[in-house]
Amino acid sequence: MKKKLSRNQTFMLITVPVLLLFFCFNTLPLIKGFMYSFTNFKGFGSYEMVGLRNYADLFTDARVGKSYLFTFKFAILATIVTNVIALLLALGLNAKIKAKSALRGVYFVPRILGGLVVGYIFGYIFTYILPAITGGSSMLSSTKTAWIAIVIVAAWQSIAQTTLIYISGLQTVPEDVYEAGAIDGATGWKSFKELTFPLIIPFFSINMVLSMKDFLMVFDQIMALTKGGPAQSTESISYLIYNNGMGGGQFGFQSANAVLFFVVIVAISVFQLNFTGKKEEQL
Amino acid sequence: MKKKNKVAAATNWPLTILLILGCLTVIFPLYMAVVIAFKKPSEMTNDIAGALSLPKSWSFENFAEAMRVTDFWHSLGYSVMITVITVVLAILIHSIAGYAIGRSMAKSKFYKFSYLYIVSGMFVPFAILMMPLVKQTAQMGVDNWFGVILCYLVFYMPMNVMLYSGYLKNIPIALEEAAFVDGATTWTTYWKVIFPIMKPMHATVAVLTALGTWNDVMTPLVIMSGTGTNTLPLAQLTFQTQFGTNYNLAFASYLLALIPILLFYIVCQKQVINGVVNGAVK
Amino acid sequence: MKKKVIAVLLMATVLTGMVATTGCGNSADKDGKTHITLVQYKPEAVKAFEKMEEEFNATHDDIVLQIESPNDAMTVLKTRFIKEDTPDIIGIGGDVNFSSFIDSDMLMDISDFEGISEIKPAYLEIAKNLEYVPEDGVFSMPYVANAAGVLYNKDMFEEHGWEIPTTWSEFTALCDEIQSEGIQPLYFGFKDTWTCLAPWNALAVDLAPADVCQQVNKGETTFSDEYAEISEKMLELLPYGPEDPFAYNYNDACTAFANGESAMYTIGNYAVPQITSVNPDMNIDSFVMPGSDNADENVLNSGIDLQFCVTSDCENKEAAYEVLSYLLADETVQIYLDDQSAVPCKEGNFELPKVLDGMADYIKEGKMADYQDHYYPAEMSVDAQIQTFLINGDVDAFLKKFDTDWTRYNRDIIRKVQEYEEKNGGNE
Repeated sequence: MKKKLSRNQTFMLITVPVLLLFFCFNTLPLIKGFMYSFTNFKGFGSYEMVGLRNYADLFTDARVGKSYLFTFKFAILATIVTNVIALLLALGLNAKIKAKSALRGVYFVPRILGGLVVGYIFGYIFTYILPAITGGSSMLSSTKTAWIAIVIVAAWQSIAQTTLIYISGLQTVPEDVYEAGAIDGATGWKSFKELTFPLIIPFFSINMVLSMKDFLMVFDQIMALTKGGPAQSTESISYLIYNNGMGGGQFGFQSANAVLFFVVIVAISVFQLNFTGKKEEQL
Repeated sequence: MKKKNKVAAATNWPLTILLILGCLTVIFPLYMAVVIAFKKPSEMTNDIAGALSLPKSWSFENFAEAMRVTDFWHSLGYSVMITVITVVLAILIHSIAGYAIGRSMAKSKFYKFSYLYIVSGMFVPFAILMMPLVKQTAQMGVDNWFGVILCYLVFYMPMNVMLYSGYLKNIPIALEEAAFVDGATTWTTYWKVIFPIMKPMHATVAVLTALGTWNDVMTPLVIMSGTGTNTLPLAQLTFQTQFGTNYNLAFASYLLALIPILLFYIVCQKQVINGVVNGAVK
Repeated sequence: MKKKVIAVLLMATVLTGMVATTGCGNSADKDGKTHITLVQYKPEAVKAFEKMEEEFNATHDDIVLQIESPNDAMTVLKTRFIKEDTPDIIGIGGDVNFSSFIDSDMLMDISDFEGISEIKPAYLEIAKNLEYVPEDGVFSMPYVANAAGVLYNKDMFEEHGWEIPTTWSEFTALCDEIQSEGIQPLYFGFKDTWTCLAPWNALAVDLAPADVCQQVNKGETTFSDEYAEISEKMLELLPYGPEDPFAYNYNDACTAFANGESAMYTIGNYAVPQITSVNPDMNIDSFVMPGSDNADENVLNSGIDLQFCVTSDCENKEAAYEVLSYLLADETVQIYLDDQSAVPCKEGNFELPKVLDGMADYIKEGKMADYQDHYYPAEMSVDAQIQTFLINGDVDAFLKKFDTDWTRYNRDIIRKVQEYEEKNGGNE
C-alpha cells in the first residue's frame, strides 16, 4: 500500500471519474436527444420514427438557412467587437489607475443584469432615446440595423466576462518582462505586441472560443430585444431550436437542427483551437 | 490604448479619466434601472424626459413588495446554496481535472482527446439536452437542487478546464519538479504548490461559474419542476405573465438579486489582484 | 494513501448527495386520502387559486387538493409529462397545445361529467373545434374566456361625440375623423409579433369561416382565397397607427394608450390590467371589430382563456370530478372573477367586466368565434409572418408562403385528417 502512485496513475485516477461524470450528464443525454432527431416527437405524448426526414428538411428549410446566416454574421462581428474592446479595457484596468476596484466593479455590472432589465432598458434606448438624438427611426424596427443593435447589446454584456479573463491572463505576465522590455526601449504598442500579447495568447484563444460559442448560441438578447423580428431577420439558431423545439411542437426536427449545429460549431472551434494552438507554438 | 509600464509608475491620470468616462455606458442604463425600480407603474411613460426623471418619492415599497412576492429569503437561500456548492466543487474538481489534462495533453493522445472531448461538450445546445436530462435526473432521483448542481458541474466543466489548463501554460513545470525532488507525490505537489499558485484563476472561475448559476433560469425550471422550491430567478418569473409585466417590481427585484453577486465579484477581484505570485512565476 | 482518500472523498460527496436526495423522493402521504394535483398556467391568478384550494380542503375530508400555479407553466407541464409526474387536472388555455394534448391521447374524456351541461354551448363548440380530427368525447371544461376587438378611450369618445362603428366603412370613417381632429386613432405594438395577431384574429372571425384551418387540412380551400380580404384590411389599418409601428412593443403600446396617445387600441380585454396599471383612472370600453360591411356578419372574437382537463393518467376520476364540480360552483367562479377580469364560460348571471360592456350583447347571444391563431402551430410563427407582411406590404407573397408553410408544418396532421376523411367519408 505504501507504493507511491506514479504521476501518470494519479492523473488517470483524476481524469477517469471526471470523464464519467461528464459522459453521464452531457454525452448520454446528447445521445438520447440525437435519437429524438429521427422522430416526429413533439416534446410530449406519442411519436413515430420518421427516419432521416428531419435532416432532409433541414437543408430545404429556408428559415433554418437564414438563421445560420444571421447567427454567423452576428457571431463574427460580436466576437471581434467584444475581444477588441475587452482587451483594451483589460489593459486599462490593469494599468496604474485610481479607483481600480470600483472601476472593475462598474464594468462588470452589465454581465449581472438579467435579460428583462437589459431588454427593457435597451429597448427604451433604441426606441425612444436614440431616435430623438439622431432624428432617425428605431434601429430595432429595420431589418438592416436590428442585428447591429443586438451586437451592441450582446457585446455590452459579454465584454465584462471577456475582460475578466484577459485581466486574469495579464496576471501571469511577470513585471520584469516589462522591465526588460523597457530597457530595450519597448513601450506602448510595441511592448504590447512583442511582450504582453504573446504571453496572453492562451487567454486570447480561450476568449475567442468562449465568445464565439456564446455568440453562436445567442438567445437571451434576442428574446429581450427583438424576439426574432423585424420580419424574422434576427432569428438565431438557438432561438429556433428553443422556441420551435420546446415552445412549439417541433422537438424532433429541432433536435436534428441542434445536432447539425453542434457538429458545425465543434468543427469551427477545433479549427480555431488548432489555429491558435499553432500560433502559440510559433511564439 | 497607451500603456506606460514604468515600474512603480505614477498614476496614469488620462487613462483613469478615460475609463471613468467609459463607465457612463454602464452608469446610464443602471441609472434608468434604479429609477424605474423606485417608480410606481403609474409613473411609467414613453416620454423621454418623464422616463429619465427621478421618482416622485424614494420609497422602498417596491423592494418590500418584490421581496414578498418572490418569497425572497427562501428563494435567496436556495440560490445561495446552489451557487456556493457549485462554485466550491467546480474549483476543486475542475482545477484538478484541468491540471491533470493540461499537464499531459502535449504528450499523450488520451489526454488530448479528453481535452477536446470535454471542451466540445460546451457546444451542445442546452435545448437538446434538456428533455433527456429531465428524464434522467428524475430516474436517478435527483430531480431537485442537487441534480441542478450536478448539471452545473458538467455544464461549466468545459470552460473551467480550458481556463485552468490555459493558465497552467504560463506556470513553469520547474516549480513542480523542485517539489518532486523533495519526494512529494504528484497529489501533494498539486495541493501544496500548484493549487495556491492558481489563486487568480480560482477567483476568475468562481466569478464566472457563480454568475452563470446565479442568473440561470432554465436548468432549475426544468429539473426542479414540481418540487415546489424556487431559486431567485425562478421566483422572478412571477413578474412576467402572458399579458403583462410589472417592470417596477421586477426591476426592484433584479437590483436586489444583483447585490450579492456584485459583492462576491468585488471580493474575488481583490484575490485576482492580490493573489498574483508574480515572483513565483519565473 | 492521502491522495486516494481525498479522491474518494470528492466522489463520495457527489454520491452521497445523490443517495441522500433519492431517499426523499415522492413518498406519497399515506393518510388514506385521495390526493389530487392541479397545475394551472395562470400565475397571475395565484391568489384566487390559493383561496379555492383552502376552501376545497376545508370542506372535503377525503380529498386533498393541491393547486400549483408555476411560472412558465407550459414548460413545467411538459417536463412533468417527461418525468411521468403527470398532474391529475391541468388548467390550460384553449390553444394549439390543447389540440396536441388531445392528439397525443393525454386527456381523459369527461363527457360523463354532469357540469358540462352548464357550460355555454358556444364555448364547448370552440373547444371541440380545436381537435385536429373529430374525436368522441369532451376533453375539457371551459372555465373562463377572453375577448378581443377594439378597446377605446371612453372619455375621449364622449368628449368628441364619436359614434361606435358597426361596419368596416364606418370604422375607417371614424378613424379618418379622429385623425382629422389631430388625434392618432390607433396604437400598435407590432415589435412584439404576437400583437399583430390581435387585429388579425378580430378581422378573421368576421371575414373567414371559423373552421378555415380544418377546411384547408381537408383540402377544400386555401388561405390565399380565405385570408386575402383580411390581409388587405390589415394594411388599411396601418396608416391610422403610429408612424413606425414595428418600433414599439406591447408594453409601449399599452403605456401609450393609457396616456391618451391614441383613441383606440386593437387588442383584447387581457391587456386591461397592464393599461390600468399605468393609468388607474382610465375609462376604457370596447367594441367588436367591424371587419365586414354587413354588420350582421361581424362577430365577437372570443376564445377560451382557461379550461380544466383531466389527464388520462389520473387514477381517481371521481375525486377529479369532485374538484371540477367545486370549481364550477357559482361561488367558486365568482372567486376567480373577483380576482381576474374575465368572461365566465358557465351559463348564469355573472357580472361581466365593465370594459366588455360594448361586447356584452354578443357574449349573451353566443355570437362569437375563436381566435384563428389557436389553430396555428406555434413553430410556424404566423405572428412573425404577419409582421413581415405588414413591413413589406406584399399580400400575394404572404399568402402564398402561408399556404406552402401550412402544408409543411402540418403535414402529419393533414395526413391524419385525410386518413380520417377516407375512413369516415361516407358520414359527411
